[in-house]
Amino acid sequence: MNEKGANIDLLFRNGLKDYEVLPPPGVWDGVHSAIKIKSRPIILLRIAAVVTILLTVSFLTYKWSREIASTTSVSALSFNVGAPSPVISVPFDDPQYLTAKRNNQVRNSSNVKIEPLNYGTISDATDVAFSPEPIMNIQETKSLSIGNNTTVRGPLLALPNRSQVNSIYIQYPDLQYLLVNNSTIPVNRWSIAAMASPTYYSGISSGSDQLSNKVMSSEQPLFSYSGGLSFSYKISKRFSIQSGLYYSSLGQKVDGINSYSGFTQFVNTKGDHNFEVLTSNGKVFTTNPDVFLTANGSDRILTAYTKDVFDPNKASLQPVNSSLNQNFSYLEFPVILRYKIVDKTIGINLIGGLSYNLLVHNSVYTTLDGKIYPVGDTKGLNPLNLSSSLGMGMEYNISGKLSLNLEPTFRYYLNPFSVTTGSFIHPYSFGIFSGVSYKF
Amino acid sequence: MSEIKKIIKGCLAGNRRDQELLYRRHAAKLFAVCLQYSGNDDEARDILQEGFIKIFENLEHFKHEGSFEGWMRRITVNTALEKFRCRHNLYRVDDIDTIKEPDAEPDNQDYAGLDAKDLLEIIRELPTKYRMVFNLFAIEGYSHKEISKIVNISEGTSKSNLSRARVILQRRVGSYTGLKKKVVNE
Repeated sequence: MNEKGANIDLLFRNGLKDYEVLPPPGVWDGVHSAIKIKSRPIILLRIAAVVTILLTVSFLTYKWSREIASTTSVSALSFNVGAPSPVISVPFDDPQYLTAKRNNQVRNSSNVKIEPLNYGTISDATDVAFSPEPIMNIQETKSLSIGNNTTVRGPLLALPNRSQVNSIYIQYPDLQYLLVNNSTIPVNRWSIAAMASPTYYSGISSGSDQLSNKVMSSEQPLFSYSGGLSFSYKISKRFSIQSGLYYSSLGQKVDGINSYSGFTQFVNTKGDHNFEVLTSNGKVFTTNPDVFLTANGSDRILTAYTKDVFDPNKASLQPVNSSLNQNFSYLEFPVILRYKIVDKTIGINLIGGLSYNLLVHNSVYTTLDGKIYPVGDTKGLNPLNLSSSLGMGMEYNISGKLSLNLEPTFRYYLNPFSVTTGSFIHPYSFGIFSGVSYKF
Repeated sequence: MSEIKKIIKGCLAGNRRDQELLYRRHAAKLFAVCLQYSGNDDEARDILQEGFIKIFENLEHFKHEGSFEGWMRRITVNTALEKFRCRHNLYRVDDIDTIKEPDAEPDNQDYAGLDAKDLLEIIRELPTKYRMVFNLFAIEGYSHKEISKIVNISEGTSKSNLSRARVILQRRVGSYTGLKKKVVNE
């Protein structure tokens, strides 16, 4: 029995080893819809995490830059006039400080004691015992020409202990450059820029079906442009945040739609529109009662005036054009973060952020002998869109305040302009913005 | 990077094309496994669907240390077992005596005439508990101790079920080969 059992086991194990049966159709759809739904919250969480990190980094950078600014604006040097010998504190463990000290001021000074600065602690002025050895040799040199009420400022100075009135604390050896008047150097953080660009506009279809593919294939981008003013605030040496107001005009040409004029006299139906045209960005409703539309071999037009009801040629309507133009205008409110990669005469910035786009104008027209012939407008458009931007900015500094900018920027609209035929068209645009910026 | 690694990477990045490619490549083999463990086609379809959802959900845990196909197969088998555990109370384990006697006792040579389709059909005719034990022992290579834990039965019951499954299968194989011979002779 055991041998027979083993044989039957082997028979089935080997016989079914590489056996394949095609699964019924529809299983993949079930799998895909399930994993798609589950992956959405993960994507949202990731976006939220990225936004949180960006905001946190921006905030911390801002805080840090503020702290640096406040540190540099505090008077870092004070001494008692009656003190016999002011003491200069230096980092004892940095040989370059010592070398420079010898080469510059300290060698030419007298009555000045050099005291090592232990980071985080401020030594007593009368306590001059320190190491390493080289510093010992440069005590009691010529006097520094530091007058009363003179303040040494700058990022390289250590904060003095207010109780240490007999000491001067200077970390950097080149004292001539550090000794300045007790005044505050303004830091220019704000700048304004005017930028404009022609843009290439198109769309990516997701969840597309046959009809939406057909619709999209007949559409061509029209000349689009974007421009406006922006304000930028420098939150640190490399990071700046930018916002402003832009105006952008996007458009597309819908081929295969023949338009005729002179239809008003034949209109005998009630309603606010005579024709509906399906486009990737929504349905075009005709508002001009004079226009008659037909489509070349497709069912993109919905109307009561079908071919069997009304023939424009028999009615001798005047042909206008064989395409429609759709135009959308938006006011943009960008929130952009810039990171300066190269900070030289020609600077390079990495740009990324989000824009809120408010729909302010929407029209559909065609042209007749070069003149605009209005047709209607597009219905179902989202009044507010969110777009993400990514770009690389080049900045040529003409002077300390004025610079020329060139910024190739890719923009992707996170939500579609509208939902058509069950598919989602996510528009995107690419433009090379150019303009000038002025630092206050 | 191997092709399967690229596909897995694409799947993890949410690339639909790679996800579908992974499914298309392995669905047929895994569906055969599902049929082997299930009594009807609808149940097999459900196991395949749920199994693939688990595969995609757990893809990030695959360490590329063993066979990817084996890893997917284990997930599919576990899904089938989960279904079995949920429903086994609803199944009636047929008594061995009620099974129809085969036409002839098979011998080793008779086995050669059977193809995979016949074998699958035979195995699916087994009562559910016998089918589970036979599949786990003979095909997947589990021990009776492991099976007792997986199916929640005693080791003795596992052995007994296997023994009964083998008897039934031998008889069924005999029936099939007998029938085939008849058809060929006629």
